[in-house]
Amino acid sequence: MILLSTILLLFVAAFFVWALRHYLTATPLRGWMLALFPAGSFGLLLWQTLELGDSAETLSIPWIPTLDLSLSLYFDPLAALFGMLITGIGTLIIIYTGYYFANDKSAWRFLSYLFLFMGSMLGLVLAGDVITLFIFWEATSITSFLLVAYKYKDEAARRGAFKALFITGGGGIALLAGLLFVSNIVGSTEYATILNSGDLLRNSEIYLVVLSLVAFGAFTKSAQFPAHIWLPDAMSAPTPASAFLHSATMVKAGIYMMARLNPALGETEAWFWLLSIAGLTTMVVGAYLGTKQNDLKALLAYSTISQLGILMMLIGQDTEIAFKALIIGIVAHALYKSSLFMSVGIIDHETGTRLLSRLGGLRRAMPITFVIVVIAALSLGGLPPLFGFLAKETLLATAVHPSLPLLMTWLFAVAIVIAAAFKLVQAGLLTIDVFTGKPRDPAIHAHEAPKGMLFAPAVPALLSLALGILPEPKQLAEFFGEAAAASYGAPVKVSFALWTGLSIPVALSAVAIASGMLLFWQRQRLITWQRQLDGWSFNQLYAAVLATIDKGARAATRIQTGKLRFYLATFLLAMLGLVALTSGSAWTLPTGQGGTSGLHMQFDIIRLLALVAIVGGAVATVVIKRDFFAVLALSATGLGVAVYMIVEPAPDVALVQIVVDILATVILVLAIGRLPLRLRETAQKLRTGIQWPTLLIAVTGGFLVTWISYSALASRPRPSLVTPFYRANAKILTGASDIVGAIIVDFRALDTLVEIGVFSLAGLGVYTLLRFAAIKHADHGQAIDAQTPLAPHPLQTLGIGGFRVSPYIRAMGDILLPVALVIGSIHVLYGHDQPGDGFTAGVIIGLAIGFKYVVFGFQETRRRLWWLRPNILIAIGISIAIVSGAATTIMTGSFLSPVDYGEMLSLPLPTGVKLSSGFLYEIAIALSVLGSVGLMLDTLGRPAVDVDLLAEPPAPENRGN
Amino acid sequence: MELLLAVVIGVLYATGIYMIMRRSIMKLIIGIGLLAHGADLLIFTLGRIESTKPPIIAAGEESITNYADPVPQALILTAIVIGFGVMAFALVLFRETVRVSDTGDVQEMRLSDR
Repeated sequence: MILLSTILLLFVAAFFVWALRHYLTATPLRGWMLALFPAGSFGLLLWQTLELGDSAETLSIPWIPTLDLSLSLYFDPLAALFGMLITGIGTLIIIYTGYYFANDKSAWRFLSYLFLFMGSMLGLVLAGDVITLFIFWEATSITSFLLVAYKYKDEAARRGAFKALFITGGGGIALLAGLLFVSNIVGSTEYATILNSGDLLRNSEIYLVVLSLVAFGAFTKSAQFPAHIWLPDAMSAPTPASAFLHSATMVKAGIYMMARLNPALGETEAWFWLLSIAGLTTMVVGAYLGTKQNDLKALLAYSTISQLGILMMLIGQDTEIAFKALIIGIVAHALYKSSLFMSVGIIDHETGTRLLSRLGGLRRAMPITFVIVVIAALSLGGLPPLFGFLAKETLLATAVHPSLPLLMTWLFAVAIVIAAAFKLVQAGLLTIDVFTGKPRDPAIHAHEAPKGMLFAPAVPALLSLALGILPEPKQLAEFFGEAAAASYGAPVKVSFALWTGLSIPVALSAVAIASGMLLFWQRQRLITWQRQLDGWSFNQLYAAVLATIDKGARAATRIQTGKLRFYLATFLLAMLGLVALTSGSAWTLPTGQGGTSGLHMQFDIIRLLALVAIVGGAVATVVIKRDFFAVLALSATGLGVAVYMIVEPAPDVALVQIVVDILATVILVLAIGRLPLRLRETAQKLRTGIQWPTLLIAVTGGFLVTWISYSALASRPRPSLVTPFYRANAKILTGASDIVGAIIVDFRALDTLVEIGVFSLAGLGVYTLLRFAAIKHADHGQAIDAQTPLAPHPLQTLGIGGFRVSPYIRAMGDILLPVALVIGSIHVLYGHDQPGDGFTAGVIIGLAIGFKYVVFGFQETRRRLWWLRPNILIAIGISIAIVSGAATTIMTGSFLSPVDYGEMLSLPLPTGVKLSSGFLYEIAIALSVLGSVGLMLDTLGRPAVDVDLLAEPPAPENRGN
Repeated sequence: MELLLAVVIGVLYATGIYMIMRRSIMKLIIGIGLLAHGADLLIFTLGRIESTKPPIIAAGEESITNYADPVPQALILTAIVIGFGVMAFALVLFRETVRVSDTGDVQEMRLSDR
C-alpha cells in the first residue's frame, strides 16, 4: 500500500496543481514547496528499500477479476533503483522548474503534465504485471507528448511531439502484442510467474516473434538506431522536461523493461546478437552525430542516444561484469546527464541562446555553472576521478571479457573506444568552447543564475564526484549489486574502486582518452568534415512513411463522392455480395421437408387479394410520377399488409398496421405540401426512364430476399424456443388473454419503454428540427394568416392550405374526435384481453386530431384544441411509465412487473376491467404516443411562408441549372 | 402459396431499393416505407406461419394450443412503430435538407461534402 501511495502522491500533485491553476503563478518558492511531493515519494521508496527483504515485495489489487486482470506492483532492488532515480531527480527538476518558469502564469500546465508523467513513469517501473506495465508505458508516451508539445504554438514543438508519439506509440503496440504472447505462454500476467518461466519462454516455438515484438517496443522507446530520430526532435520540449524525460526516465523505460525481462527472455543467442548489434550501432551513431551538433541540447540528445546504446548492449551480454556495468552506467548517466541538461537550460535562460556558434567565454560571468558543467562533463567524458570513469571502465571490462568470441571482443573494444573518444570531444565542447575564450557573439550579456536554480544541477554533479572519490559506501554498493542481480538472475558483486591496477581496460581507456584529446584539438576540421558528409538520414524514411499515409488517406476520401446514390449502391452491392458469399453451399432451393410440420398455408382468395394489393401498390409507386399519387400507392401497400395480417391471423399487428398506415399517409401528404412546389416539380420531372444499373441492383436484392424468405418458410426446423413459455405463462403471470399484448406490456415491458421513448423523440425531433429552423429563418405562422384570413361566413371556412371545405366534412371533423376518444379508451381498458393496445389508442386519437387540422386549417384547430399540449402529454406519459415501474420495483423487486392494484385493494370494478400496472402502462403509452403524433401534426400542419402554393412561382431565369 | 409470399417480399424489397436510389427525395422516403413493409413481412415469415388461430386465450381457459406464434407478431408491432418514427423523422430531416440545399434532387445535395 505504501508502494501504491508513492505513485498516487504524484498524481495527487498533478491534480493539486491543476486545481489551483488560477492561483499558481510559478515562483521559486512554490517550486520548492511542490518538490515536497516527489521528495515524499522518494522518502517512502527509500524506506521501503531499507525494509526490503530477500524476495520482492508484491501487491495485487483485483481490477477486472473476470478477465483475471489486476493492478499489481512488484518491488525489488532493480525497481527500487529506478524508482529512486525517478523521484530523486524529479524532486530536483521540480525545484529547477520553479526558477525556470518564474512568474509564468501558465506554468501550472507544465507542472501538472510533469507530475502526471512522473507518476506514470514510477508506475511503469513499479508495475508488477505486464498489463499494468503497458498501461503506464502508454501513459508515459502520452504525457511526454504533452510535455514536448508544451509550446504548442511552435510548429517544431508540435512536429517533434507527434514524431515522438508516432514512433513510441507504434512501439507500444508491438510491445503489447509481445507481452500478451508472453503471458499467454506462461499462463499469467504477473512478473513473479513470468520471471520464473524463462525456460518455458526460451523453448517456445514463437520465442523469436515474442522477442522481436518486445524488443521493437523497447528499442523505439529507448531511441535505439534507427528509431532514434525522435529524440533530437523532442528537444523542443522546455528544458526541465528534457532534463527529466531524456536523461533519467522515459528513454530508460525500454532499458528497464529489457533489464527486467532478461531472466525470462534473455541469455540466448538471438538475444545476444540482437541487443549487441542494435546497442553497438546506436552507441557509435549517437556519439558520432552528437559531435557535429551546434545546438547544445541536440548535442546532449545524441550523447544520450549513444549511452542508451551502451546500456542496451550490456543487457545483451551474459556476464556478471556486464550487469555491474549496466547499473553503474544507468546511475552515472542519470547523474551527469540531468546535471548537464539543467546547466544548458541555465545557459539558455541567462544568455538567450544555446548555440555553440554564439557562446563562449562564459566562465567569468557564470563561474558556478562553469564548475558544475566541468564536473558533469568530465563524468560524461569518462575521466577519472568521476563516476563516469568507472562506468566506462566496467564497460571496457565487459568488452574484453574472455567469454566473448574474439571477433566480438575486437569489435566491442574498437567501437567503445571510438564512442568514448567522441564523448570526450563533446565534453570538451561543453566546457572549453562554451566557457573559455571570448564570446563569439558580442551581443550576449551573460549573468549567473540564482543560487537556488544552481542547486538542482549541482546535486547530481557533486554526487558524480562523491561516488568517484569518497571511500566506498558499502551499503550502496550492495544495493547496486542486488539491483544488478535482479536483472542478471545471479549474484553480482559491485565495488566502486576506480583504480584496479594496470589492465587491458585501463590501457584501452588511455587510448580512448588520447584519441579523444587529439580529435578535440582538431575539432574544427573534424566538425567541418562531418558536416560535409551530411547525407541521407532516417528522417527521410520517416517523412516518406508519413507522406504515404497522407496519400492513402487522400485516396480514401476521394472515394467519397458526396452522392447518396453512389453510397447506397456501394452498401447494397457489398451486402448482396456478402450474402451471396456466405450462403455458398446453401445455394439450393429448399425442398420443404426440413420442417417438423411442413407447410400448411392455405391458398385462399383473401390472402391472394392482399398480396396482389401489396405488389400492385409497390409497383405503382415506382411507375407513378406525381409524389401525391405515389404516396397513395404506398398507403395501398400498407393496407394490403394489414389485410394479410388479419388473415394470418395477427390481429394486433393488423390493427397497428392500419392506424400507422393512415397516419403515415397523412403525414406524408402534409409534408408534400410543405416542400417548395418548384423544387418538387423539378424533382418530379427528373429523368424518369428506367435506370438499368439501379434496376439490376434492385432486382438482385429482391431475388435474394425472395430466396431467403422461401428457405425460411420451407425449412425452419422448429418453433420458437420462448414461445411455449409465453403461452403457458401469459395468463397466469400477467392476467392477460392476448399473448402479444402480454409480451408488449409485461414480458418485454422495458423494450416497450424504450420504444415509446424513441417514438416520443421522433415527435420531439420533428418539432425541434422544423420549428427551430423556421424560427431561425424568421418564418412564423402569422405571415400566412394575413394572406388567408378566416372567412366571414361560418359555412365557408378554409381548410389546410386555404382550400374550401364542405360543411358536412366540417361536421365530421367535430364528431370524429369524441368518437376516437371513446375507441381509444376501449383499447386502453380491454387491450389486455383483446387485440389493440395503448399505442393503437394513441394513434387513433391522433388521427382524429389530424383530421381536424386538415378540415379546419392550422389556426382554427389550434384555437379549438387550445388544451392540447403535446410535449406535456409526452412528459406525463413517460413519467407514468417510470413511476409505475418504480412502484412495482418496490412491491415485487422487478421493474415494470405485473401488479393488479384492483384486486389488491378489492375495488369494485366492472367485469373485464383491471386496474393493474399493465393498465397504467397502456395509459402511459397512449399518452406519449398521442403527444408525439400531436407534435408531428402540429409541426407539419403549420403553414410556412416558403410553401409555394400561395407564392408566385419564381421567374425561370432564377432557377439556374 | 409460400413461394408467392416469398416473391411478394422480394418485390417489396426490389421496389424499395429501386425507390431509394432515385433522384427525387420524396421517392426516397416512399422507398423507405416500402422497405419497412418488406422487413415486417420478412420477420413475420421467419417466424413460421402454420396455424389459423390468433394468439389470444379464450375466456375461462389458462392457455391455448394451435395458435399463431406471438413472438414475431410482438416484434413486428415494435418494428412498425419504430419504422414509422424513423420515416417521420427522416421526412423532416430531408425537408430541411431540401430547404438548405435548395434542391429536391438527391444527386445535387452535396453541401457537406464540399
